[in-house]
Amino acid sequence: MSEQSNKQPNRILVIGGGFSGLTTAVDAAETGAEVIVIEKNPYLGGRVAQLNKYFPKLCPPICGLELNFKRLKNSPLISVYTMAEVENVSGGPGDYTVAVKLAPRFVNDNCVACNACSEACPAERPNEYNLGMDTTKAAYLPFNQAFPQKYVIDSAHCKADCGKACQNACKYEAIDLNMKQESVTFKVSSIVVATGWNPYDAKKIDTLSYGSVKNVITNMMMERLASPSGPTGGKIVRPSDGKPVENIVFVQCAGSRDENHLPFCSYICCLASLKQTTYIREQNPESKAHIFYIDIRTPGRYEKFYWKVKDDPNVSFTKGKVAKIVQAEGSDDVIVEAEDMQTGKKVKVRADMVVLATGMQPAGAAQKINGVNYTEEGFALSNQGVIAAGCGRNPMDVARSGQDATSAVLKAIKTGLGR
Amino acid sequence: MEQIIKPDLNFVNDIIASGGESLKKCYQCSTCTVVCNVTPDEKPFPRKEMLYAQWGMKDKLIGNPDVWLCHQCSDCTAYCPRGAKPGEVLGAIRKMTISEYSPTPFAKMAGDPKYLLVLFAIPVLLFLSYIVPKGYLDFSQIPRGEDGGIVYAKFMPVFPQIDVTFGLAALFALACFVVGIKKYWSAMSAQLDGSGAGAQLKGNLIGSVTATIIEILTHKRFQKCNVTKDRSTAHLLVFYAFAGLAITTTWAIIYLYGNEFLGITAFSLFHFGESPYPLYDPMKILGNASALTLLIGITLVTLNRMKNAEKAGKGSYYDWLFISVIFVIVATGILSEVLRLADIAVLAYPVYFIHLVFIFFLFAYAPFSKMAHMVYRAAAMVFARHSDREV
Amino acid sequence: MSLRELAVWSQEPKSDEAQLAAEDYIKMGVIKAQKGDIPEPYVMETDKTILVIGGGIAGMTAALQSAQSGYQVVLVEKEDRLGGFVNKLYKKVPAAAGEYKKPLIVDTDIDKTIKEVEGNPNIKVFKSAKVEKTEGQPGQFDVTIASNGNSEVVKIGSIILAAGWRPYDANKLEHLGYGKSKDVVTNIEFEDLARNGIIKRPSDGKDATRVAFIQCAGQRDPNHLSYCSAMCCTTSLKQAQYVRQNPDATAMILYKDIRTPGNLEYYYKAAQNDPGVMLTKGDVTAVTQSGNGSLFVEMENSLLGEKVKVEADLVVLATGVVPATVDDPILNLKYRQGPGLPDLELFDGFADSNFICFQYETRRTGVYAAGCIRQPMSMSDAQEDATGAALKAIQAAEHVAKGVAVHPRAWDVTWPDPFMQRCTSCKRCTEECPFGAIDEDEKGTPFYKPGRCRRCATCMGACPERIVSFKDYHVDMIGSMMKNVSVPDDEDKPRIIVLACENDAYPAIDTAALKHAKIDPAVRIIQLRCLGSTNLVWIADAFSRGIDGMLLLGCKFGENYQCHFAKGSELADYRLGKVQETLDRLQLEAERVGLIQVAIDEYNNIPAIIQKFVERVKEIGPNPFKGF
Repeated sequence: MSEQSNKQPNRILVIGGGFSGLTTAVDAAETGAEVIVIEKNPYLGGRVAQLNKYFPKLCPPICGLELNFKRLKNSPLISVYTMAEVENVSGGPGDYTVAVKLAPRFVNDNCVACNACSEACPAERPNEYNLGMDTTKAAYLPFNQAFPQKYVIDSAHCKADCGKACQNACKYEAIDLNMKQESVTFKVSSIVVATGWNPYDAKKIDTLSYGSVKNVITNMMMERLASPSGPTGGKIVRPSDGKPVENIVFVQCAGSRDENHLPFCSYICCLASLKQTTYIREQNPESKAHIFYIDIRTPGRYEKFYWKVKDDPNVSFTKGKVAKIVQAEGSDDVIVEAEDMQTGKKVKVRADMVVLATGMQPAGAAQKINGVNYTEEGFALSNQGVIAAGCGRNPMDVARSGQDATSAVLKAIKTGLGR
Repeated sequence: MEQIIKPDLNFVNDIIASGGESLKKCYQCSTCTVVCNVTPDEKPFPRKEMLYAQWGMKDKLIGNPDVWLCHQCSDCTAYCPRGAKPGEVLGAIRKMTISEYSPTPFAKMAGDPKYLLVLFAIPVLLFLSYIVPKGYLDFSQIPRGEDGGIVYAKFMPVFPQIDVTFGLAALFALACFVVGIKKYWSAMSAQLDGSGAGAQLKGNLIGSVTATIIEILTHKRFQKCNVTKDRSTAHLLVFYAFAGLAITTTWAIIYLYGNEFLGITAFSLFHFGESPYPLYDPMKILGNASALTLLIGITLVTLNRMKNAEKAGKGSYYDWLFISVIFVIVATGILSEVLRLADIAVLAYPVYFIHLVFIFFLFAYAPFSKMAHMVYRAAAMVFARHSDREV
Repeated sequence: MSLRELAVWSQEPKSDEAQLAAEDYIKMGVIKAQKGDIPEPYVMETDKTILVIGGGIAGMTAALQSAQSGYQVVLVEKEDRLGGFVNKLYKKVPAAAGEYKKPLIVDTDIDKTIKEVEGNPNIKVFKSAKVEKTEGQPGQFDVTIASNGNSEVVKIGSIILAAGWRPYDANKLEHLGYGKSKDVVTNIEFEDLARNGIIKRPSDGKDATRVAFIQCAGQRDPNHLSYCSAMCCTTSLKQAQYVRQNPDATAMILYKDIRTPGNLEYYYKAAQNDPGVMLTKGDVTAVTQSGNGSLFVEMENSLLGEKVKVEADLVVLATGVVPATVDDPILNLKYRQGPGLPDLELFDGFADSNFICFQYETRRTGVYAAGCIRQPMSMSDAQEDATGAALKAIQAAEHVAKGVAVHPRAWDVTWPDPFMQRCTSCKRCTEECPFGAIDEDEKGTPFYKPGRCRRCATCMGACPERIVSFKDYHVDMIGSMMKNVSVPDDEDKPRIIVLACENDAYPAIDTAALKHAKIDPAVRIIQLRCLGSTNLVWIADAFSRGIDGMLLLGCKFGENYQCHFAKGSELADYRLGKVQETLDRLQLEAERVGLIQVAIDEYNNIPAIIQKFVERVKEIGPNPFKGF
């Protein structure tokens, strides 16, 4: 910042190391502020790190993450804490005290990501990065291009001699089984809340039979299924029997725009489903995709992406919300039911697999940070020194999250200037 | 055919006033039609009805059989993502349909709490006009039966007071129904012609009527309700209780006029004495059994409604008035009998009086109250079958 | 050099090949270190004043945010009053984070914002003004502002382009009755009609009790605007509330899709929950006279019926957004590559970014767009957008002052330092620079503006004289690395150089190695800043030393290019098209050189891609220069 106003270094604490938090950190540091990033996962990148491709360019999200990681590594002003959670925020604009709890990783900075611990590790754990569709060893790297490139030991799944086995395999003395949970406090001038979102729990939508009918998956699971780092190496096959998916149905507004679930629109799901039709169409030229929707929401220039998908004769659209999903008799196929409003008839479509376009629930719905204000639905609210950014304050796509984060940086920096 | 749309704001406001205040929240997703188990698959309801209602398209609604094929299971209301409560909106439209086709001003009054006192004042004054001149307000003046017990027929003679009053009321109701159904039928036919859907009236009317009767007797459609599963049982109880009471009433008329007045011995087969008939009289048994069934049925209806209020909506004044009237009728009916047998005159006569007033309310205002649903819904069911809307 | 990835994990353990690879990479690493110098930043005298072009809500927000952060701001507005389109609005949508409470329309309070801007001592406002020309570079822009017949030159550090938008020309919407009936108006004109309370129809002054809103009037239509204007659905829902100020009036919104994304859904819900607001989906085909003074809106595929006519007293066309940049460069840059932002046709004329992750990046350094000139957006979104753009502008001004690059190499203190004595003024660098960083003087000699430079080194690759160097990256350095790679004598063992872009291709190789995937031992991999920096001399260097093939791995190009420097891989491809000549001269097959586009997530395919190329080279046979 300009010299006349720069009395003390501006210190910003960023809660969340997903796309918004990362952008906040990099943009703030590149403007001269000191930044502390608090991320609850063992890696940065958040939901974006789980995406296969971005709409509308169909480019890999890891590309932009990689660049941000590079900037982060090149900046001496940023400190990153993974496996960390904010417990309390106190103080006021210009002078906040933030209490942070650090969970043990059991792996120190000696780790070279050689995979020896994982090979030796006798225990497995469900892989939440792949939404539980496969498992990893209890000593694991969250995903190929994870940052930091350091293994983690999941102590909940690494009991008895498991830890020792991992430790013995490590040639670099990188495994420290005596690590304990720690508490640290930070003094900062402002806080950016970029806690992001969680996929809405599809089990709560009883009409859509997620969990009870086979081969009904969520859109985030579809991202992992299509991803080269996913459980199938990117081959889109259905979970029940591994059959390549030829016929797929997308159910829009699975939970979103619904007072019984999420009353708001999740912004991304229409575009995500349009994008996911291209995954399946690319893998199999004979495949067919069908989208049931209330309104197709492709605002701004995204409209052209909608047109592109609509031009594909194997992708069809029906205005009408799916409200019933059943298993086809004697088969793993799925039957969805909706009203085709244009013809005014109830229609039933049979598919190999059904993707529920589940929406985003702000992280604040499940977990609120002491000292931060929220709306009834759990969206974080901003005030002078605590600035909410990204999907934790309003559903938005990656592009807007980045832009929103950049905007939050200026507000955060301005708070620090007043000191 | 190109149709000109002229939205009718007044009609929209009327629906809102009639208990459909949530209708404007609908954003046309059609969850309602998909979760509805009683709609046909072709042109299903209630999504399209919600749109017509939002636009105030009166003709499309009051000449619409689907509005009555709806049994207000409230699956739609429970699953509606916007809280638009299609079940309640259709309920409001049904009320407006009844009012629309009723030829008298009573229709407006039946749905509006303001007029409640007026509606009750009519039978109250009527019955008072019988008893006041005789000085029966002093209960000791009321003659007793041969065994010294309370005999309601001596308080309010069956002929002419009761039978003429109720006979005329029934005739009035019947006439209103005939006119109403005729209008409704022709409105439905007009919509059918105007719909351009190619649907035509065909099939045999007798067949449609028979099928409808069977459906009503079995409540087959009603049983498809999901969220409010128990409602069909409760309704079935009420329905059969009314049927039982109807038989009892007919039976009593046959006793009275056939046997007592005209002395036709064929009617005296089970005749064990004069009114009040003894408790072992089969007619009395049927009557009492029906009354108890009705009590259980209407209690279940009430409990179900309260239980489902959160998901299905709390219901309108119109609905609750109807339920209350039935409740009071059955309660006062049973009480009258008990009080008579217990010989507590000071309570027995007033309770019986109230009983009569409510029965009058039920009968005379049937074409304007929710009671009319049995007629309009039956007509709609027949029409739907007859027009191949469904089979 | 990451020996572990390149020589250990990706090779057969303890093999001779692995050993040889390790030796080569160590050699290359040493050369790189020897040939590199400690860089010193290019520090110049700079000014950090921020120029905001456009005094609408986005521009005013950007100006205020920058000024409040302690920066001097120059604000240029073309009209004689600040406020832009907000001035035309009767009311706006209130702010809310969740449920919207009544009232659903509130005053814009634009006068308050204007006063705040005009009263801020850090902001200098030029009204009835335009940017006549912009010369120089970030930190040292000389911007000529013409205002009321005077011209003034101001020193500027960085620029926020917030020149806004105009409504789509409704005269082109004759089928919707515009121009044919006075009672067909645009949504902007409707704001004015609403100002007087009860809405009257323009033709005869009667109360307009039936108002039809036609959504997507021009937008989402291949004959008009291919995009959605993002704000019109909310605007019509808002304007329906204007109509409903008359309790007897109905507002009918005829839509294709209602688009109220995110928390705006709450507004949709609140605004439609009104007896007189009616909505239906349908395709409006025409607006015609009804014969009794009112209008018919004709619709097909409507939810109300296949073919219906809606009778209305007044028809409002929800027309869309056309960015100011569609036909006006606005910036009037005195750059060799032209006065405006390049490639705007990719974005339908919007000054948008091609990068999903980096929304403010334009191809003109130090210029950041905000508001509806960047993307169609609502008023509140434009305010957020402007705040972000202000941060980027501040960041750029600070970075150039310190001599550090801006996005994407925001840590880089090196800069292109051409050895001008050997320049032949061939102008390839000035033409190829993706950021227009190189101008030419009167004689046609290139003139480097480091403030505009993003350090991709495309100029280094373009220069046939090899005169462009960075302290830690130059033609000789990479050339020497190649020349020192071991060349096996064995004819079955080719040696192939892989030039990999450090942003996508190289991390993909890295990840393949991390997964212990084996990479053909024939290749030696060299990281480049960008394939755009590939100098053709390297091909000659390598082949003359007996290298059998060269493979370039770079980012995807085309419409949805993934190159962080916009054009790098595409330029390399273009240059390779000309390599034939060089190879012919050496009597070598053109197929020995190839460029393959890979994305960062293609790590599973990388070994096979390389393998295939090695096979191709093996088929051609060994380099005849081998052993010379």
